[in-house]
Amino acid sequence: MPLIINDVYPEKLYREDGKRLDGRENNELRPIKMEVGVISNADGSAYLEWGNNKIYAAVYGPREVHPHHLAKPDRGILRVFYRMATFSVFERKRPAPGRREKEISMIITDCLEPVLFLELYPGTAFEVFIEVMDADGGTRCASTTVAALALADAGVPMRSLVSSVAVGKIDGQLVTDLSGIEDKAGEADLPCAITWFNEELSLLQFDGDMSIDELNESLLNARKALDQIHQLQLTALKSKYTSILDEVEGGKN
Amino acid sequence: MENDELESEELDEFESEETNREIVVPGEVLTEDVENYNPGRGTLLNKDKTKIIALNIGLKQIKKNYINVIPLRGFYTPRPGDKVIALVVDKNPVKYKCDINAKDIAILKPKNAIRKGKIRGSRSMEPEEFEIGDILVAKIISADRLNMPELTLVGKYLGKKVNGIVISIDPPKIPRVIGRNGSMIKLLKNLTKSNIFVTQNGRIWIKGENLDYERLLIASIKKIENEAHTVGLTDRMSEYIENEKKNRGIE
Repeated sequence: MPLIINDVYPEKLYREDGKRLDGRENNELRPIKMEVGVISNADGSAYLEWGNNKIYAAVYGPREVHPHHLAKPDRGILRVFYRMATFSVFERKRPAPGRREKEISMIITDCLEPVLFLELYPGTAFEVFIEVMDADGGTRCASTTVAALALADAGVPMRSLVSSVAVGKIDGQLVTDLSGIEDKAGEADLPCAITWFNEELSLLQFDGDMSIDELNESLLNARKALDQIHQLQLTALKSKYTSILDEVEGGKN
Repeated sequence: MENDELESEELDEFESEETNREIVVPGEVLTEDVENYNPGRGTLLNKDKTKIIALNIGLKQIKKNYINVIPLRGFYTPRPGDKVIALVVDKNPVKYKCDINAKDIAILKPKNAIRKGKIRGSRSMEPEEFEIGDILVAKIISADRLNMPELTLVGKYLGKKVNGIVISIDPPKIPRVIGRNGSMIKLLKNLTKSNIFVTQNGRIWIKGENLDYERLLIASIKKIENEAHTVGLTDRMSEYIENEKKNRGIE
């Protein structure tokens, strides 16, 4: 007998004590854990746990482009492969890349391109492989965040890091960082990403309905959350080297 | 076998006193004082010309009025004059194709592989022949962003390697394996009684007296790679090798 879990959404997305279903405040992020250098054979890699999301990213390059006709003679290209594992969602996900995977791969490519110096590497490709091991809402934002980390870990020259978070509206209230159930049953979902060198939006998608004032307020909420995520990214990148430094200097004293 | 001769500037950078051990990441603001400082290697002046930012993950270094970032990770970009260890991956009558750990495959033409010196009884201008899988120590004669780099085997210490082991490390950490004025490489050679040839593309050729010394040397090089951003590495390495020698019962 296959296990069948019905997609039943709760009527209310708030608990009796006024908190969200997972016990968060409106503008609270899920717990985030980041690590770099997790895949030894890749040029750069990163791992991210964001609530129940578990995502790996690996970067290779610059290297030759296959198929060769995709190569650009005047500049390099960035290729992102976003894939979900078959066991990452409730019902088995068919492993072939579908419409959704292709779309997310494309938006992550467009989101990360402005921070790279692709014109310095003509005829080559940087390839980012993102594998979602466990999904629970907001994987496109988590993937963008972890892909930027992996690129920085690979030593690819970058103008800055990229951070991303989803904001939205559930039960008439504006919230930050929607979980899977809030994403599906909520009223609006607004994933956005920021490039820190010019502090401009690099990704903005919208689903649902919301007034203009609410949109502006949501973006301000997102900005606060993005600052927090950026700090976590910086610490994760540095900790790879500072941990060795502490070990060595601790041993001397 | 001699050390690879690097410019003294490059040798100093990890040990330099001006290098404070601050680790910076891409996008981090190095200074907002653009009047007194200029952007150097691995840095960028932003569009409004108000601050200097880092492009790589690395160590911040202030040299005179230039701010540099010494990268801790990265890939090898071929430059003319570099000595590299190349692996022959393909051959045809007009050229050999070699993997040099860069984004492009390098080319070796037979005219650049003429045997050194004159061998008695043979014609002098006969190019040496190689097979796929051969390891060559070569020099880059031309390299740019658009064309494939070209190699030559004419020169001192260049040619095919018939023995030894080749290991590879992160290319930005090569200066650390050599040390200031070659101090680290001298230490490794003396303590492990081995021949070492370090090349710019992150590959190191080693040949020890026996397998025990070679294993110790590989472990030492991996340790240098891992701790490249720390201070006083040369002293710690000599201590480490002496300890390991006792532990492993060599000598």
